[in-house]
This record gives sequence, structure tokens and C-alpha cells, in this order.
Amino acid sequence: MIDIIDGNMAAVHGAVLSRVQSVPCFPITPATEIIETLAEWNRSGKWNGQYRLMESEHAVMAAAIASEMTGARTFTASSSQGLELMHELLPIASGTRSPLVMAAVCRGISAPITLWADHSDFLSTRDFGWLMFSCATNQEVVDTIPIAYKVSENSDVLLPSMVGMDGFVHSYTRSEVDIPDQKDVDRFLPRLDLKVRIDVNRPVSLGVPATEEYSYFRVQVHKAQLNALDVIHGAQREWEKRFGRRYGLVQGAHLEDADVVAVCMGANSANIKSAVEELRRRGKKAGFLRLRVIRPWPLKEIRHALAGAGKILVIDQNLAPGIGGMLYPEVRSCLAGDVTVSNFVAGLGGKPVRQSEYTGMISDALQAKEPFRRFLL
Amino acid sequence: MKEIRSLKDVPRESLLGGGTSTCQGCGAMLGCKLLLKALGKNTILVNTSGCMTLTALYPYTPYKVPWVHIAIETGGSAATGISMGLKALKKNATIAVYSGDGASYDIGFESLSGLAERNEDVLYVCYNNSAFSNTGFQRASSSPWGSSTSTTPPGPHVPEGNALHRKDLAKIMAVHRIPYVATACISHPLDYMEKIVKASKIRGCKFIDLLVPCPTGWGFQNNSTVDVGRRMVDAGLWPLYEYDGKMKQFRVTVTPRFIPVTDALKDQTRFKHLEAQQIKEIQKMVDSQWKLLNAGKYFEADFY
Repeated sequence: MIDIIDGNMAAVHGAVLSRVQSVPCFPITPATEIIETLAEWNRSGKWNGQYRLMESEHAVMAAAIASEMTGARTFTASSSQGLELMHELLPIASGTRSPLVMAAVCRGISAPITLWADHSDFLSTRDFGWLMFSCATNQEVVDTIPIAYKVSENSDVLLPSMVGMDGFVHSYTRSEVDIPDQKDVDRFLPRLDLKVRIDVNRPVSLGVPATEEYSYFRVQVHKAQLNALDVIHGAQREWEKRFGRRYGLVQGAHLEDADVVAVCMGANSANIKSAVEELRRRGKKAGFLRLRVIRPWPLKEIRHALAGAGKILVIDQNLAPGIGGMLYPEVRSCLAGDVTVSNFVAGLGGKPVRQSEYTGMISDALQAKEPFRRFLL
Repeated sequence: MKEIRSLKDVPRESLLGGGTSTCQGCGAMLGCKLLLKALGKNTILVNTSGCMTLTALYPYTPYKVPWVHIAIETGGSAATGISMGLKALKKNATIAVYSGDGASYDIGFESLSGLAERNEDVLYVCYNNSAFSNTGFQRASSSPWGSSTSTTPPGPHVPEGNALHRKDLAKIMAVHRIPYVATACISHPLDYMEKIVKASKIRGCKFIDLLVPCPTGWGFQNNSTVDVGRRMVDAGLWPLYEYDGKMKQFRVTVTPRFIPVTDALKDQTRFKHLEAQQIKEIQKMVDSQWKLLNAGKYFEADFY
């Protein structure tokens, strides 16, 4: 069914189509519409799951982990400060191998407080063992939530997933979305059958402390992340077969003969792609690479996509003070040899970036003899 | 769940295996054993980081019921998540939180308050050793006035040690409009288990503040945990009561013998530094507290 919906509604559809059974939640701009809609649908009988408005995001994540441990498919949504408050529990979700899914509506982090899109909140959780999908359209949000459950619940993975979208730019902006049929999603995503769970007939102790075995358990999380690379491929191929929409770990354009490639993620990638196309019209060999999966890190795909280019510009809509953009060192770590990798930090706190600023920066990166690191203030 | 009126009613079977890694004479471990005896097999036990967490050190666990630990401040929130999951899957079990006083009075208070406000069908037992015992006995908002802890050592400027009065958590829970609130002590197992059975038959959120003497932190011989608890109750230092939230009724369940408080405090190193004048002050606090309790003025009494 084609509808015109915003990213928050897309997340609601994605979750309900995944037949989520339990949603602990807490309001935060710009994700609040997700939990308001679920409350409304819960009361009207359009969605019959367990819904709780908790007392904080910390409580939300603890309840989500515990709920998932019972074997109930669990979903929640958060953003910015809420995501930051959850930090203590995020590695506990992955460490206890709880395959829940959370929509992360990306927003800059305080202080000063901002409500607008920025990936600093999302990316600062990148080392907590979650699978991380970054969407570029509302359509991707609907599609990625069932895909995320399918991957998370795979017995070779068993890790939680975060499905990212940009605050306001996605979450409160309507666009055309093809909402899949429930029956088709049911065939794609079977009921959750968690083997190790809270069950009085088969008592187990969950979330136990460990001494020497600690490193073993943490490395298992890393191995599960690596397993997820193939599992994501498989799930996305199946999604394409059933629904006709194709997703990769990365999305590229004009890469074959590119001399310079702009690497980015999130909603602004649409503008960056237009900037690359504008440069092509001017006869410059520019290429475009969007990262759709941040964790597990798609090393092979990035390396393959950037193989021909001598110049790379990593565009970060986030900031890690003391090092710069967060994607920059990660992308650079994929590359060897004579490559000039520059960094452009732009769009912090939703600051608008003109297409001319992107084209200018990509042109500069093409001509740069030495890598540069610039900020759009 | 069977009523427990005499020791003969207490099930022989223990749902807690032996050989756990707690200190010798641990009051909290005894409280947990009695809790599981009273609740039986159809129970899910929620733990929060603290002394009891280390009992399930990988690869061993003493628990014969499902046991879940997430973090220190997650007693109420984790129990809520389990309750949601069971309801979604149409399953039934008693959900009991067994959480320390630091994790209930202090860092996890928000999550406990949320649990009560939503009136989740959960029994929350706070095992109260009156300090952050697992990290070496630091003061918590459950520590009584005049007690020495590793962060409130008595000295020339603060001779009484802990100069702050404890938070009265049970009373705070009573004003959350939950159906059942009680205090208990491991020295009075029948009183404690009767309260557990009674609470578990009520739908909604139930709270029990369970005093568990801690030989390591309080400083007494590890074979006298029960005696120390008994003297705390007998001196009136730890009133055993229940509060029926529906009927708004307060009831003392064990009348103390009212031995002098000094007889209860003298065996505990944490009170060793107190001068006669300070002990007199504690006696005064206890006396005025009981005057109000005996008059049924529960909400007016300042508990020691």
C-alpha cells in the first residue's frame, strides 16, 4: 500500500509489521510520534502488544532487555539525550545477546541542547555491540526494521539492532512509502523462538558476572558481529526477492571511474549525491558512497567501493572532539597505499549545508595534495 | 502458595543450592533462601548488582528458578520488562525482585518508584544491610544515624560517624498507593515468610524492606547474624509491621520486648564509637517513634 508518511510513522509500521509484542518507551523529540502512535494503536486495538511508558530511557532499555529475555519480540525508540542515558545498558543488551530492535532518531547531543539532526548520538554508541543500520529514506525505515529483526534473531548473530534515521529530516517529513503487506512480512519474518530465555520450566541464570571468561564472552559479541555481515546480505537478498527493493551494506554511485569519492551516511546523503552528479556534469570524476550499515563495519565493501579512487572525502555529520569526525578514522582504516583522505565535518545540530558547499569541498578534496580536515561552522 | 503459620509449614526443599560465595553468616543469603521457600518454583527472581549478584558467578549458579541480573539500578525496570514479556506470551509466574538497599534506596530508587507508580504485579524485597556492603560498606541513604561506615568514619569533627538520618523507604513506598508494604527481619522467619505469602496473593506492586544483618559490615561474629537481628527488633530499632494500602491500615506484626538499645548496638563494631550521650539520643528517637506507632500514627513517626 502506497502512503505518504513521515519517518516516525514508517518506524511504527516497520515495528507493527514485525509483530512486536512488547514496547517499553519514553518520549523524546524528534522520536515522540513513534510512541504516541503506538499508544493510540494499542488503545484502538490496531496493535495488541504490551505497552509501558517508563520513567526514563534507562528504565526503557532495562525493561526492553528483560522483556526480550522472556522471548517476546521487543521494540523501542529513542534519540539524543535518551540514547545517551541508555549508554550503561547498551553493551548489556549485546552482552546478554538480547535481539531487540530500537529506532534511533538521530539528533545532536547536549550541551548546548539542540533538537536537530546530527549523528553524534547514534555513532557514539558504535562500540557497544549493536548492529547499526543507517537509513536514508522513510521507505528504508519501514523495510529495515523487519530486516533488522530477521538478522538480530538469527542464531549466528543474536545481537540487538539500532535502526537510525535523521531527526525531523526523516522523522517529521512525509514522503511516499510503499508499506508492505502483513502477510508478506509474516512469511519473511517468522515468530521469535529464543532458545535461551526466562522460563520457569527451564530455569537459567541470565546476566551473570564472569571472571576469566569475561574476554571470551566479549569476543563472542565481536564474532557475532562478523557473522552478521553474511546474515544481513542474506536477509536483504530475501527482502529484495519478496518486495523488489534492493539494499546493500553500502550504497554507491559513479564509483567505477571516480577520482574522488564522497563518503557519508544518513539523510544528507541525498544532497551529497546531487552534488556528485553536479560535479559529473561539470566533467569532474566524482563518486558517491553511502554507508547503510555501520556495525558490523563493512570493511570489504568499503575497500572494494573505494578501490579505484586516489582521493576520498569523508563527510561527517557528527563530532568526536579531540579526533574530529567519527567516520573519518574508520574509513581511513580500510585504505592502504597512496590515498589522500580528507574530512569535512558539516551539518552539526542540523545546520543546513548548501549543495555548493558540498561541491566545493569535494572539488577541493579532488585537488588536494595533502589531506585536509575542515569544519562548517 | 501455602500459608506459613509454623516452622512445620516451611518447605524442606530449597531452591537455592549450597556453596555460594557470600561471606559466612550472610543475612542476605538467608533472606533469599526463605524468599524462595515461601514463593516456590513458579518464580522468576530479579537481581540488581550487589552482594547477591556474585552468587551466580559463571559458570556456577545456585538458583533453581530463573534468575536475571541487568544492572544495579534496574530492579523495578527489569521486573517490568519481564512482566510485559510474560503478559505478551500469555504466561504466568511470580516475579520477585531481591535487591540491595543501595540499589533500592539510592541509585535504583527511580526504577522502584516507577514500578510502584505503574502498580506492576511484582513483589519487591529490599535486602537491607544498611550500606553499600558489596564494595566494602560505604554509607547509603539506608544507613542509620550514628553508624560508622567506610565513608562516614567517626572523627573529631563528626564524632557520631554517619550524621544523616536514613530515608524511610517503606513509608515512601506506602504513599505510592501500592496494595502492600511491610518490613521484616531474617531473625523472624515466620513473620517474613507469612508476609511474602500474603503479598504474593495480592495483585499489584508489593514492597518488603527486609533487614539483613551483615557480619562483615556491621562487625559481629558470623555465627550471631540471627541474634543480632533479633536484638535490633527487640530493642525497637527495626519495627516489624505491615501496611495494607487498600484499607489504609497500619499494623505492628511483632511487638518488641523493648530491651535497651545499647544491648542491641553493643555487639556491632559500627556503633562501637558511640558515647553514652549519643546512645541516649538513639534511645530517645526510638522511644518517640514507638509512642507514635503505638498510637497508630505511622505517617507521623520519624523512624530511627
